[in-house]
Parts: sequence; structure tokens; C-alpha cells
Amino acid sequence: MNRRSRQALAALVASGIGLAACSDQVASGPINLSKGVPVGAVLALSGNANLYGQDQKTGLELALASINGTGGIGGRPLALSIEDSGSDEPSANAAFTLLINRGVLALIGPTLSQQAFSADPIAQRRGVPVVAPSNTATGIPEIGSFISRVSAQSSVIAPLSIDKALKRNPAIKRAAVFYAQDDAYSTAETVIFQQALTTKGLKPVTVQRTQLNDQDFQTQISAALQQKPDLIVLSLQGVDGGNMVRQLRELGYRGTIVAGNGMNTPNIYPICQQYCDGLLIAQAYSPELQTPANQTFLAAFKVAQARNANARNLPARAIPPQLLAQAYTALQVIGDVLRRLDQKQPLKTLSVAQARTALMAEILSGTYQTPLGEIRFSKGGEVIQKNFFVAQVRMDPGGKTGRFALLP
Amino acid sequence: MDAGLLQQMLLGALLGLSVYLPLRCGQLSLASPGFYAIGGTIAALLSTRLPALGGASATYPISSVLLEMGLAAALTGAIAAAIGSVVLRLRGIYLAIATIALVEILRVITLNLAITGGALGIFGIPQPFNGPEGYAFFTAALLALVCWLCDRLERTRPGLAMAAIRDDELAAASQGIDTAQIKLLAFVLSAVVAGITGVVAAHFLNSWNAKLGNFDASITTLAFVVLGGSRTWLGPVLGGLLLTALPEVLRPVGDLRLIVFGLVILLGPLLFPQGLISPERLQSLGRLWPGPKRLGRQAP
Amino acid sequence: MPTELIQLLLNGLSVGSMYALFALGYTLVFSVLGVINFSHGAVFTLGAYFTFLLIGGNVGSNGLLAGFQLPFALPFWLALVLAGLGSALVALVIERVAFQPLRQRGADPLLALITSLGAGVILVNLIQLLMGAESHAIPTSSLGNLPAALNIGGAMVRTVQVLLLAIAAALVVALTAWIEGSRSGKALQAVSEDPITAQLLGINSSRMIQVAFGLGGFLAGIAGGLVGLSVSIAGPYFGIGYGLKGLGVLVLGGLGSVPGAVLGGLIIGLAEACVPADFSGYKDAVSYGFLFLMLLIRPQGLLGRALPNKV
Repeated sequence: MNRRSRQALAALVASGIGLAACSDQVASGPINLSKGVPVGAVLALSGNANLYGQDQKTGLELALASINGTGGIGGRPLALSIEDSGSDEPSANAAFTLLINRGVLALIGPTLSQQAFSADPIAQRRGVPVVAPSNTATGIPEIGSFISRVSAQSSVIAPLSIDKALKRNPAIKRAAVFYAQDDAYSTAETVIFQQALTTKGLKPVTVQRTQLNDQDFQTQISAALQQKPDLIVLSLQGVDGGNMVRQLRELGYRGTIVAGNGMNTPNIYPICQQYCDGLLIAQAYSPELQTPANQTFLAAFKVAQARNANARNLPARAIPPQLLAQAYTALQVIGDVLRRLDQKQPLKTLSVAQARTALMAEILSGTYQTPLGEIRFSKGGEVIQKNFFVAQVRMDPGGKTGRFALLP
Repeated sequence: MDAGLLQQMLLGALLGLSVYLPLRCGQLSLASPGFYAIGGTIAALLSTRLPALGGASATYPISSVLLEMGLAAALTGAIAAAIGSVVLRLRGIYLAIATIALVEILRVITLNLAITGGALGIFGIPQPFNGPEGYAFFTAALLALVCWLCDRLERTRPGLAMAAIRDDELAAASQGIDTAQIKLLAFVLSAVVAGITGVVAAHFLNSWNAKLGNFDASITTLAFVVLGGSRTWLGPVLGGLLLTALPEVLRPVGDLRLIVFGLVILLGPLLFPQGLISPERLQSLGRLWPGPKRLGRQAP
Repeated sequence: MPTELIQLLLNGLSVGSMYALFALGYTLVFSVLGVINFSHGAVFTLGAYFTFLLIGGNVGSNGLLAGFQLPFALPFWLALVLAGLGSALVALVIERVAFQPLRQRGADPLLALITSLGAGVILVNLIQLLMGAESHAIPTSSLGNLPAALNIGGAMVRTVQVLLLAIAAALVVALTAWIEGSRSGKALQAVSEDPITAQLLGINSSRMIQVAFGLGGFLAGIAGGLVGLSVSIAGPYFGIGYGLKGLGVLVLGGLGSVPGAVLGGLIIGLAEACVPADFSGYKDAVSYGFLFLMLLIRPQGLLGRALPNKV
């Protein structure tokens, strides 16, 4: 073996690494407005959380069209770059870093709470405002002063559906709880559900743990059904949750089922089919909200759906899901704030770093009329939202598609 | 290029080396992600639970990171020595699957223990550096050190014995090589490299949970070695650097990104069955690169 | 037998039958090549998507094929068989691209692990590109008017799981009969013992390997369609989740043994079902612990032959 050739090659690799490591000069420079006002979004478009990411992408596209169709940011368009974060942490970090280096003024994302715990600190350290559209775990805004979210955390929403279930059927006595034990969202939400049940005097008669990738739940279901529950509470994601509902019903459970935020997507319809019917899910968004902001959003959604449906021979989805509305809201908030900021201090006079800091202060100080209703933020970046709802899934005959019908 | 990506690449190269070490003596061990997870968990636990390690300044002291690395090395080394003597009796695919099973068992235990934070994991891991540049320099130095050690190893008796075992274990044994001892050495070194890599990764990733270091990671890391070449340490380093960078570099391709990534993994071994770096290719490269002292000296 | 025991057995068989179906084609390719084919999970997924399209499913609103629907809708069983054939074709292409060039060169079998992984990554992401990430249902009504669940001695089991188990058992019987009883099956055995000797005996080894891949792809395809019927198709990563468990099943039953694959699947299913509810978090650790012990005690698995040095 030739020693020198190895050393030469090693030196080559090392010098390549040295050249590559150049530091970030973007933040101190002016904002690159040549293509519009730069904003980034990081969504799970691949990997096993991709079904959430696709809904979110649609929501962002609608908000973008609405902002740019009404004058953009002081005459300039808002330029949104969407990057795929996969469904894992390193990819989310890479996508955050990439967009921050490109000089975006604010970030939307990442899709999963688990990714947020890893990627948000990067934005925090580099002073880039983050508006999370779907992280519901406890402790997300607490990551730092630049982190905020429009997705209300589980502790606020989850108990509502339990209240509703008990109101509809006061005879409920025995609650069973299921959650995916290897999933951050599920484990966080089930704690809230279990507390809510216990306060109502319904200490769970059984708690069954599943794994995110499980698809057959016969073992857990038969164990739970032995306890004769009349209320079942699920903290599961869309796919495993859909299968759980279907198998619960197939194995003969007839009582009420309450599901958490992870199943708050029409993507569960193809999985539990006609068995989805009757599922109770608390909502941070109601399509029936009679505010101008929501009507605008609904109109845009319907136009886009109809266009899709005509071009592609599809039944149009009548009602936008919560994740889509929340993603829309996240970008709308950023659009509103950018407009306000641009009027106070024209963006072209600011450096990237100054604009990011000013933008964060503006985000936290404003009040926003959004499809979610009127929202604002606490000092720590937690969303303060007035209206929450509980919806019941109603499947069409044939069980192919359905809708979330709001309960009064 | 960006320093954060560079840091990911350097971590990939280190993991590649960890899989490479047992493979150099013909042992297909996929335990590296498990030891990586142990290293990361140690770093996450110590740095978030022990205020004494935090020091007075705003950034986390590098001495504490080094201490974590030392502990991780000791622990992963000890675990590897203990299980290595059992599993290394297995060969080929059986060893691979046994190590995968161990990694999965470890993942489930991490997930179930309260101290490791369950599915949410441990977050808010303190930062020894202000940005990815610091990490990249630190990790580049670490990689250089590990490469240097690998290079030394490959020239010394244990290293040569490893290659002999890979070529023919029976022949190696008949020449008086203690094959069990040498295989165990490679396995322990592999674990130590993965463990210290995990320590750096935990700080860099800000949070740590049981999903890091799973089955998918095992297979991807194996691809680093196969694509780079498994006969000299430069192979896995190059493979790790390139394959970690590839999905990020391919972002402009958009939706086709992961398809192109798959194509590279598919075509790489077909076009370069020996890997990108093989001793023969290095030699021919060396001829194109005449060093001053090389004159009059022929490659053996 | 007390109801609890029957229920336990049914629980184990329910999940075990899915593992067994997944592992059948997986083990067939291993038995001949001695190589783990990491594209198996992707072909399984493809079979599920083929079945879904052939019964007249609509692609939905994402992906390049959004809104696409075949102009006809086949009955489930016919769709399943055609989907199996389609998957077999794809498996043959994978063999041609990812395995044959390596075999002809006599390359390290380790390389085939990686090339097949690459083929799998391409396939999964191609599905996502064309069909989007949505989940799809093979409607429960495809089976006709069967009851959703059966009551066996007071214990409940979903009808579709019983069906899966029966099909897995029938496939094992058919495959074993073919391998042991027919000329081509014997040739396959000879190739898996030693391809070079087989070649010398006048067996076209290359052809037999293609047969194994085609059959493996067919089995993967119908397994995908059947599991899709039981639990719906959860997007392009549907089959990937089974890859690791499937590997465990393979080793437990005996690498390359067809009855072993089914036995291994059922044993892992039963082992998981026996974990008490309070410790269900450790369910996977139990099955992998089982696997690990098995490897130490009897590496060739329950029904396998010793195969040294294969990768």
C-alpha cells in the first residue's frame, strides 16, 4: 500500500472540508427582495408523517395566493420556499438551516413536535421567528423567544371532547385509553386525556399501549374489551388510529370513541371507512365559523378544490381539515405582520437580522382575524385562541368519504 | 456549503468508520447505531441532569463534552466487550440480524424508561458551540484523529490480522492469529467510535430520543461503507460524507430527490463493486500525484 | 379450552398471519440466492396499490396520477391475482437490474443488500411521486357479505384475519408441494444448495433464480393486497414497516425455509400476544429477545438448514 498516496488523498479531503466550512454572512446583509419577501416553510412531505405535510402544503399555497392576490407586502410578492423535512429530526434540522442560510425572514414548521424539539433551537440561536402550524406537545414555545405556534396545545383542546362525550351520554362509567407509546404527540396527549377523565371521576379501567407502526390491534382490543368499557379514548396518529377504530368496531365495540388531534385529518376515512362514523374529535378549527376571515378562506378552498376536481375528475372535498386551516393561519399571521412591519420600517432599509427581530416582536404584539377565529399570542409565543369545537365524523353511505360535523 | 450540513456529513463519516471496523475482518455487525444511541443518551442525560458539568459560562464547556465522550467510550466499549464475546460466534447474516435484534431491544428499553424521557426523549441539550461551524471544526478534528488511528491500525499487526481473517478465517487461525481476540477488538473499537459520535450528535441535534439510531440507520450506514469501499478507512469516510450530503444536495431536484438518491445507492455498487476507494485505485491515484519523497520508491 | 386461552391464541394468529404472509416471498428469494432482498417491502406495497387500482380505486388528489382511475373495476380476487403478476414482473426487473449484474461478476453478496435497498427506495418514492402520500382503502365489502368478526368459543377474531391465516397456510402447502414434488421445484432446491453444481447437472441456474424472484414477487404482491384488505394501505411506506419484523420472522423460522417463514410468523405473533398488557411497551423487545436467543442456540432457525457464510 502506498503511504504517500493515502496521505495526499487525506489532505485533499481535509482541505475540501476546510474550504467548505465558511461562516454565515447572510444575517448582517440586506434582505434579498429580488424575488419577493423571503419566508420559508418546512413540512413533512416524505416519510411516515407525509399525509400531514400534504394538507399543510395546500393550506400554505392558499394563504400565499390570498396574500399575493391582495397586494403582497407593500407591493412586493411574498416568496414562500417550502422544503421537505422528511419525518425525522436530522432532515428537519437540515431544512431549517438551509432556509435560514437563504435569508428567510420567518419559518413555518416543522410538522412534528419531535422535529420541533430538535430544529427550533437552531432558529432560536440564529434569531429567526418560527410559527409552528401543527406542534401540539407541551413545551414548544418554551424552546425560546423566537418560537411561537398557532396550534393550540393538547391540554387546551383534548378535554373538550371528553366533556362532550359525557354530555351526550351521562351514563358513561368505564373509560379505556389507548396511545402509541413510541410517539411524542401520543404520549403527551394521553396524559392530558387521562387527567381529564380522572377529574370527571372516570379513572381509566385500562390503559393500552401500542406502537406507531402497529397495524393489528387484536391483542390490545380484546384485553380492553374484557373490561367492558363504554368510552374509548385514543391518542394515536392517523394511520394507526384509523386501523384501531376499524378493528374496535369490527370486534364488536359499540360505545363512544373519542380521538385526539392526530386523527384530525380526512386521511383517516379510507382507513376506518364506514367505521369512522360517530368518532368525536375536538377541533381548533370550525368551517362553520361566520367570520369574514373564515369565509374568505373557505371560498378560496372551494375554488381550489373545484379546480382540482374539474381538472382531475375527483369529488371535491367540501370542508378543509384543521391542519390545513392552521397552516393557512400560520402564513396569514406572517403576511399580516410583514405588512405592518413594512409600513413602520420599510423592509429594504433593514438587515436580515434586524427584520427577523422586529418581525418576532410584531408577531407577539398583534391580534389576528384568521380562519381559526380571533387569535393572539402570549408573551412566550403560545397561541391564545377563543373558539374550540367538538366535531363528530359522519361518513357518507358506502363509507368512502365523510366530513367532520360540528356538534352544538 | 453550509457548516450544519458539513457537520452531518462528518458524523456520517464517523458512523461509516464504525461499521467499517468489524467489516474489515469480515464481520457484518449492524450494532453501530445502537452504540451511537447509547453515546447520545449518555450525553443527553449528563448534560441536562448534572448542573456541575455546565460550568459558569453561557456555552457548555468543551471539557464536559470530552468527559461525556470518555464515559461513552468506556461504557460502549465495556458493553461491546461483554456482548461481543457472545455474538461474534455468529457469522455473516446471522451476526447482522443478531446485532439488529440487540439494537431494537435497546430502543424499546430506552423508550420505556422514565429517565430517558420516553417517546418525547430528552430535549434542551446545552450547546458547547455557538453555531454549526464550531461543531464542524470539533468533529473534523475528531474524524481526523479516528482516521489517523485507523491508518495506524491498518499497518500494525492487529490490522493486518483483521485483513487476514476477512480473506480466510481458517487460514488466519492456522497462522497463529487469535481470531476471536482480533474480531472482539474490532467490535469494541467500532462501538467506541459510534459511542463518541453519539455524544457529539446529541449536542448538535439539541434533542435525543429512542428513534435515533434505528434499523433504517443501520442499513444506511452500511451503504456508506459499501459505496465508499470496505478495504481501507478512506472508503467509509468518503462514503459517509457523500451519502449524507446527497439528499441535501439534491433538494433542487424537488420531488425526484429521493428517487435519485435510490438510484445512486442502486448504481454505486454496480459501477464500483469494490467501492469508490479501493487500495488499487488509491495506488493508481498515487502515481498521478508524485510526492517529493516518492521518487525511487515503489509501491509494495 | 378456556376462553382466555383461545383469545390469546387468536390474538397471536391474527398478527402472526400478517407476518407470515409478508415473510413467504422474502424467504423464497433467500433460499435460492442466500441474499436478503431489501426491496421486498416495496414490492409488497406495490402489490397493495395494484390491487387497489384494479378494483377500481381512485388515486385521489395528490401525485402525478391524481384523479386517475381505471375504466373498469375487477372483483377483488381477480384483482389480487393480477396484482401478484404485476408485482412479479417488477420483481423480475429488480432481479435483472440489482442482482444479476452482481452475480455475473461474482461480487460480494453484501453488495446485493445495498442494491436491493436502492431499488426499494426508488420504488417507494416512485409510488409517492405518482400516487401521493394518501392512504387508500380496499373496501371491506370486497369479500362479499361476511360478518366482520367471528366468535370462536367466546373469543373474537376478525374474519379477514382468519382468511389471511388460511391463505398463508394454503400457500405453504402449495409451495412445499411444488418444491418437493415437481422437477422445477427440485431444480430450485439444487440451485439453492450449490448453483455451480446445479449448472453442471444441466440446470439453468440463472433461469431458476428468475423463477424464484418472480414467484417471490408474486407472493409479495398478493400479501400486500391481502394485508391491505385487512388494515388499508397506509401510503407508500406501507410495507417498509414490516421489513424488520419480517427479517426476524425469517431467521426464527429458518432462513430460506418456506414452512419456517409461516411458523416463525405465528410464533412471533403468539409471543407478542402473550406479553401482559401492563408490559405491552416491551412487546417488541420480547420478540427480538426471542430472536436473539434463537440465534445463539440454533442459528439456522427452527426449520432451516445450516447456511454458513451467506449474507
